[in-house]
Amino acid sequence: MRLTELHRTTSFRLATLFLAMFGFASILLFGYLYVEITGFETERVDEWLRREHAELIREKPDDLVARFEHQNQYDPRTQRPFGLFDASGHHLAGGYPGDRPAIPAFDKPFSLRLHGLPHNPPGRCIAARFPDERVALQCQNTRELDHFDEELLHALLSAAVLTLVVGLLGAALIGVGSVRRLDAVTASIKEIVAGNLSQRLPMHSKQDDLDRLVRVVNGMLDEIERLMREVKGVCDAIAHDLRTPLTRLIAGLERAQRRAQTKEEYREALENTIAEAGGMLRTFNALLRISEIESGVRRESFEPVDLSAVAMDAVELYEPAAEDKGITLALERSSPEPYSMQGDPSLLFEALANLVENATKFAPLGGHVCVHLFSNAGGFGVSIRDDCPGIALKERQAVLGRFYRGEASRHTPGNGLGLSLANAVAGMHGMEIRFAEVHTGCEVQLFKPHESPDARNNRREPANSLGVSS
Amino acid sequence: MPNVLVIEDDVQTLDEIVEALTDHGCAVDTAQTGRDGLMLAIANAYDAIVLDRMLPGGLEGLSMLASLRSAGVVTPVLILSALSAVDERVRGLRAGGDDYLTKPFEFIELTARLDALMRRRDAPPSVQEYRAGPLQLDLLKREVTCAGRPVPLLPREYRLLEYLMQNQGQVVSRTMLFEAVWDYRLDERTNVIDVHISRLRKKLDPAGSMPMIHTVRGSGYLLRAPD
Repeated sequence: MRLTELHRTTSFRLATLFLAMFGFASILLFGYLYVEITGFETERVDEWLRREHAELIREKPDDLVARFEHQNQYDPRTQRPFGLFDASGHHLAGGYPGDRPAIPAFDKPFSLRLHGLPHNPPGRCIAARFPDERVALQCQNTRELDHFDEELLHALLSAAVLTLVVGLLGAALIGVGSVRRLDAVTASIKEIVAGNLSQRLPMHSKQDDLDRLVRVVNGMLDEIERLMREVKGVCDAIAHDLRTPLTRLIAGLERAQRRAQTKEEYREALENTIAEAGGMLRTFNALLRISEIESGVRRESFEPVDLSAVAMDAVELYEPAAEDKGITLALERSSPEPYSMQGDPSLLFEALANLVENATKFAPLGGHVCVHLFSNAGGFGVSIRDDCPGIALKERQAVLGRFYRGEASRHTPGNGLGLSLANAVAGMHGMEIRFAEVHTGCEVQLFKPHESPDARNNRREPANSLGVSS
Repeated sequence: MPNVLVIEDDVQTLDEIVEALTDHGCAVDTAQTGRDGLMLAIANAYDAIVLDRMLPGGLEGLSMLASLRSAGVVTPVLILSALSAVDERVRGLRAGGDDYLTKPFEFIELTARLDALMRRRDAPPSVQEYRAGPLQLDLLKREVTCAGRPVPLLPREYRLLEYLMQNQGQVVSRTMLFEAVWDYRLDERTNVIDVHISRLRKKLDPAGSMPMIHTVRGSGYLLRAPD
């Protein structure tokens, strides 16, 4: 944005609007002050005139001329020109220059321009008519007063101009400041749009409203970047995980083409091919199901579920397989009451079955796997503990991602989707998958925190330092 | 030969289903819209109907099914759908469907489920025992004997055998077994059930001289009386 577009910025407009409002209020105030001050001065003069007038009325008619002459002697600068005129208006006595002027009203003050004096100064006068038709005029030269009024007006105008200039300059400064910040933000956004997702909007230390917005946007960008990286990771993983079975499939077909002679050999090759293709299809289905679960479409199918019953079923399903491997699979529960919650029993079973299967898969020959139903103040859940080496801290977040296979599991069967499915199911049920450190091996928990307004808002937050948000 | 009506709008999928069912030994009629399907289903007595959920031509799968049921036709219906969500499944079953299969599926799963549906319909209402060769399962006493020798089974093993005997001579898929015996719907195929089957096998036939539960390559099991 260029400086010529300054007038379009919100802050500049706001500043000038305030300036206009302030100016209007100031004009009102100045006008009031002006009228009040000048009114007060005129009132003071009028007061004096009325006093003089009252005194004059009480004077004996014969002493009038002497009084006027006397007054004239003490007023060499004709600040207070008095005049006594006969019935036809001719000047009789006093400092008033010339004959009687036109008098609008008797016995009350009025404004009059004093024509006989140098510069024709303005004045306030009061006139009295005596019984012998003589007229007395008492005036106060108000040039000084007008001068004060002019000075006042001048001062007020200067102040107004100064305010306007300072206000406009301030508005421009504020506008330029916001233009600069917006320019920086716009430049960052353009860079992000151009593809540099690691760019963030610039922050100021001001902690103002724009900074709050910038913080929120930066948080959003962090999330977007994380998601993009995740999507990229998943795409790479899909490509990699499908390339392997495809290679095997093609190799098998080519071998059959080279070597197979009999019907049986061809049948075997076909069956192997179908099995490989079926495996790939299942991987895709599992991926789609995880997305579907993550999007929470199934929430409508929730019904009351007893988590302990589901856990028992999962243990029972895997008991024979574990026994064959020489692994002891045990179920413990810390309290007898049912662990009831709202949920989809099939999905919860699948999640628990995946966790139990993982544990039996990685436990060493003759090892122990313990499925423990527990409840505490924070909630309840199932923990699956085994003797396996455990999941390294840095791998904990990663194992929940799609296709991730830990170093230890590279050579075991599986598609790397089991824990992601369990994680998706947990998220859908407001549960968390947590990893706990135990000295004998590792422990995975499927934990259901008690619903509280606070917990509901912070569901994405890890419950403890070892927790992984679901 | 069972008579099956397939209602599916996608020609390629329809062809594949028809081929698979013909190979399985069914006589197949087809319809590509809900309206045609409804007319055929009302006019002819079919043993089972395979119905796609998404159909063109104004009459969608579930409404077609509802019309069919309100016309008094009780033919078992297996719904095919690309919608895998559980509530979609519940909706399908509520509309009068007898089973629900999510696309993509393996054809052995389709034929096995169709067989089970038809068998369920044909089954006499009150059976007291199942027999297969020397094997006898008493539904009232919940006892199993093999050639007169009692076979002690765990509850889950008993239910496995009960389901296999109920569907003897037919392939049952692992997912069907899982749904019937464990009461959970597991979309992902799991081989853990094989261990349960092999235990059952050992208990029924410790010597391994007359195998009765056969593994069907692909996705299931078959219980058949020994020859």
